Amino acid sequence: MPALQLSELAHANRPTQLPLLSKLADILATSPAVTHLMVRGSLAHGTADRLSDLDFVVGVHDAQFPAFVEALDDLMSVEAGALLPGWRDTIVAALGGVGMVFLVPDEGHLHQIDLYLVPASRIPRLRATVATALLLDREPSPVTAEEAAMAERFVVEFLARPRTCTELLIEHLVLAVLLHKRIKRGQQFVAYSEWHRLHTATKDLIKTALAPTSRFWGWYQLREEIAVTPIGRACLGDLEAAISGPAIPMATDVDAAIERMLALVERACPDALSGLGTAIAAYRSYQELV
Amino acid sequence: MDTLTALTGQIAQLDAVNSAQVERMRHEALTAQAPWKAEYSAYQSGGWWTTSLMSASGDAADVTIGDCAARPTVLLAQMPTIAALLAELGLNYMWVRLARLEANAFLWEHRDYDELDQVERHRLHIPLHTNTSAFLVTGGTKVHMAGGRIWRLTPTYAHGVCNLLGPDRIHLIADVYADDAYRRLARRPSLHPGAVEPLPAANRSMLTERLQAARGMADLGYTEAAERMLLRLFYTYALPEGAVYDLIAELHTSLGDEEAATRWTSAKRRLLALTA
Repeated sequence: MPALQLSELAHANRPTQLPLLSKLADILATSPAVTHLMVRGSLAHGTADRLSDLDFVVGVHDAQFPAFVEALDDLMSVEAGALLPGWRDTIVAALGGVGMVFLVPDEGHLHQIDLYLVPASRIPRLRATVATALLLDREPSPVTAEEAAMAERFVVEFLARPRTCTELLIEHLVLAVLLHKRIKRGQQFVAYSEWHRLHTATKDLIKTALAPTSRFWGWYQLREEIAVTPIGRACLGDLEAAISGPAIPMATDVDAAIERMLALVERACPDALSGLGTAIAAYRSYQELV
Repeated sequence: MDTLTALTGQIAQLDAVNSAQVERMRHEALTAQAPWKAEYSAYQSGGWWTTSLMSASGDAADVTIGDCAARPTVLLAQMPTIAALLAELGLNYMWVRLARLEANAFLWEHRDYDELDQVERHRLHIPLHTNTSAFLVTGGTKVHMAGGRIWRLTPTYAHGVCNLLGPDRIHLIADVYADDAYRRLARRPSLHPGAVEPLPAANRSMLTERLQAARGMADLGYTEAAERMLLRLFYTYALPEGAVYDLIAELHTSLGDEEAATRWTSAKRRLLALTA
């Protein structure tokens, strides 16, 4: 059998996300607080396509875990050019850490970057349950029981923080990027699930803006609590329009949902848009909404 | 003198450019096989690329500007619409470049022309491809150079440029010597109020908070990111000249790194062409 020269071909066909993955890995690994860096999802399994997101697991020394999480928005904005502050991922499985999703422009396209930050003391357990490709493995300095407990407390408190209108607005924008990907791939079941999440985010946004002290769970008593003013009725009208659409959206339905949500925010909680005008204009440009 | 009139000395709109002509120039700029070079590294974050259409040597890769009678490059020959516009303007060109600013790229606060001969010259910008997150800051004011006009920048005032979120911004930049053709072009400088947005003034508590955030990043090992975060404040707040460099020096002093603090104090003097 003759020796074939395949390396050039393999290089030409490497995942398009690889340069961005490498850049982000370099950014994250710069900090000595980062003990582990792993990739999971399709890029780790060799099943990535051009739409695949970048899915990192980042182990951070327990003692520095809260500071790292608090610095992440600034870091991703300054070093990676993230469009918006990170969205606290409510889809990712609970593995002892916190998930954040960023939208990062690269080569004229928006990329979804999932960062799952986990205290270093939880890494062995995580690696036993989740398949990952390891990029960095730095033995952390010993983690004391107090440091591990402090990091664990931080995770619990971080995940329990009520979401603000701005966070819910960002959730819509991230989910819309996900939905466009599902639609392009023909992933109907996942699209259905994320479309429902988008409607739920709209409901949560309305409740956070107009009934922040609501005593009712989920979708209950919305009319009684909210449809008591013109603004409330208009917002519930938007919600009705959202849930009256198809169960599985087309791209135009997703775009319409985003425009409806932005109008809703302008009406019910305009402060949530503060400082995000430029980012939303850029989002529209990348998503070809303009 | 009101703020807008004062600002016109620093940045102004001159003649309009035909929109169909701009579209053809944009197409030429976006599709040309240009040798983009990342020059002036001390002045930029990375992501500012230039290529010459007219240069001293006639080489497109020669992008360090200097006094000369500019010669057309081979690249300009591939761009007939741009070449026609330059000929139509009939200016005395010192250098003509295409400048591409990527998303999340910055030209830090600085002054230009300090190294050149003391003759009257002006910098003209013709935006070919831009977005609302790309803007110039001068005199504590944010100016988005929209397409469709020739803009005049007086780069001897402290200024900086950014493209926060992209997509790429591409401008045609011509440095020209003052002559009758220039004076005709610049006979009625104006500045549309809609193009201008004063930045909010920074207060000490805000700067303290940002400095603490930078310190937090540096403590995590992200010292260069912390520096860049402070440099970016120039695009968010109206600050006294050179204040971002002072903040970085303050950061390094708080970290006990006097050598780095001195380096940034020197960088401030060099970038802002301060003699004292």
